[in-house]
Amino acid sequence: MTTVSYPIQGGDYARAGSAASSIKQMLKQIGVEPAAIRRTMIATYEAEMNVVVHAASGLIRVRLDPGQIDVEVVDQGPGIPDIALAMTEGFSTAPDEARELGFGAGMGLPNIRRNSDHFTLESTAGRGTQLRFTIRFAPQAAAAAPPPRPSSDASACRGCLRCVRVCPTKARRLRGGQPQVLSHLCIGCGACIAACPQGALGVDGAADAVLPTLSGALVVPEAFLAQFGPGVPAERVVAALRELGCDRVVATSGWELALRQAVVAYARAEATRRPVISPVCPAVVHLIALRFPSLLPQVAPFESPVAAVAKSLAARPAACAVACPAQQAELALGEPPQMAAVSPKALREAILPRLAPPTRATCADSGERCPPPAAGPEPVLEVSGLRHVARVLDDAENGRLGDITVVEPYACDLGCCGSPLLAEDPFVARRRRSAAHAAAGAEARAVRRRRELVPRPGLRLDGDMRKAIEKLSRIDALAKRLPGSNCGLCGAPTCAAFAEDVVMGRAAERDCVVLAGRQEDVP
Amino acid sequence: MKLGELATQIGARVLTPPRRRAGVEVTRVYAGDIISDLLREASETTLLVTHLASPQLLRVAELMDLAGICFVQGREPTPEIVAAAAERGIVLMVSPLDLFETCGALHACTHPAGPAEP
Repeated sequence: MTTVSYPIQGGDYARAGSAASSIKQMLKQIGVEPAAIRRTMIATYEAEMNVVVHAASGLIRVRLDPGQIDVEVVDQGPGIPDIALAMTEGFSTAPDEARELGFGAGMGLPNIRRNSDHFTLESTAGRGTQLRFTIRFAPQAAAAAPPPRPSSDASACRGCLRCVRVCPTKARRLRGGQPQVLSHLCIGCGACIAACPQGALGVDGAADAVLPTLSGALVVPEAFLAQFGPGVPAERVVAALRELGCDRVVATSGWELALRQAVVAYARAEATRRPVISPVCPAVVHLIALRFPSLLPQVAPFESPVAAVAKSLAARPAACAVACPAQQAELALGEPPQMAAVSPKALREAILPRLAPPTRATCADSGERCPPPAAGPEPVLEVSGLRHVARVLDDAENGRLGDITVVEPYACDLGCCGSPLLAEDPFVARRRRSAAHAAAGAEARAVRRRRELVPRPGLRLDGDMRKAIEKLSRIDALAKRLPGSNCGLCGAPTCAAFAEDVVMGRAAERDCVVLAGRQEDVP
Repeated sequence: MKLGELATQIGARVLTPPRRRAGVEVTRVYAGDIISDLLREASETTLLVTHLASPQLLRVAELMDLAGICFVQGREPTPEIVAAAAERGIVLMVSPLDLFETCGALHACTHPAGPAEP
């Protein structure tokens, strides 16, 4: 249980509604269903306005329990002489100034009663009014999904905090001088890997220093073939890779194209809600499960290209150069035997000596020769870069993208060309992108996803709503004592994230230099 | 129907920046000047048509995740309201017509088959 109160000033039309606004935020944080939030907003706003219009001052007290919210509004106003009359639709005693603003239509109290599950009104003329209402809601169930994991090399870390600040889901921490990741928040995008100047971060199970023995097929992101400068065409890269022991090289781009065609066909024939979201980037799918769970039904029912490759080639020995931790996690989805993950950095180091010296730039512009699998007339909106992706998903969640048929979101800039594990600039890599996707051959296909995508409970403080609410109030109380400067010295990206860490037992209060300093001052 | 298209067809001028305008899908329109009614009818796919160009209405729009507001008779809200609406992703437009004519034009757009049922 947690209680919060908001004082209200009579006649303060400018701030009116701010209490309702904070309550809305709180309800979202503990995962209350949207319909209940809507009812709470109508009732709370009306109650808040009643105090502003009629009383000198008042107080809104909110009590949050698992399954219901109780709101009590007490004011020092004129009181209601005849409650039955006040409850009649259209009856109002509001002054003209309120009516000019659209208030005072005599619908407030009926609106509150209609939208609440329990409603009481007591009033003493000349003293004030006490209004109580309750809205019940169902706690949302959430199941866990296997999270991706970036790895870290603690000895190389110099504690610069760049990974902590760059992480889009605030999953990174620096504890005891060591980089850590909160796996319940991590989406495997690899932003931290790209940000680390020491190269201390990488993909779990695909160490940069170790290259496993290769045999069978090797799957690489198409952009990998464009990593070796203008003098090295894709064919030479493929030849060098085969010298390492693999008998064929498969670029993922053919599978991406197959997925796009399947998603467009699905959007035209089967989809009921728009836009349809392509599962091309597993990091974005994790982001949706974590931050935009209401969009999960709009994710097209296919596996990501990497998972599709892994499932199709799983019977034979094969390895995959993964572009990010999220792709690595996709390999684990395949039926056993699983595909081995390889670091593109290790692969690059291994074949660099075989590629020297570069020939004359015969293939400086292989992009001309084979245009990238562009959207053409297909109704596909490509979005890349997490900042843009998050904005587009937000728009989609709010129903603002009804004109878009398919959204194809990539966490990295320009898709896997922007992978943190690839050295070449993504724009240059895309330009030099080769004919290799043709080499994927006829076997490239989209694979229907059998498993259901489930929301990730990452943002929930506790599986038990009662405990979650209790934690919410403790986080709130601690956050008020923190400096709010987000200095990062505690190893968390923000003071709010630190407060959550302390309450969740992941950090101690003394980790905050400001709090520790204050405690020393006390004799 | 898209909010941008609706605005064009009824000759209204969109006040908020155009970034979000095109994609906003509206499934219903509600006209009125009583906050309680607007509050009850607002939804993320609703366009409200009203005389009330007030900060209080904007608050209602924010609380209810409203899609957009169309002001009538050329009455523009203050630049502060427009800026606040833009920040919250709420589309504001102003119609030169009065409330009755604006609603008529909107009805013609949303019910292309003919006049309203009696």
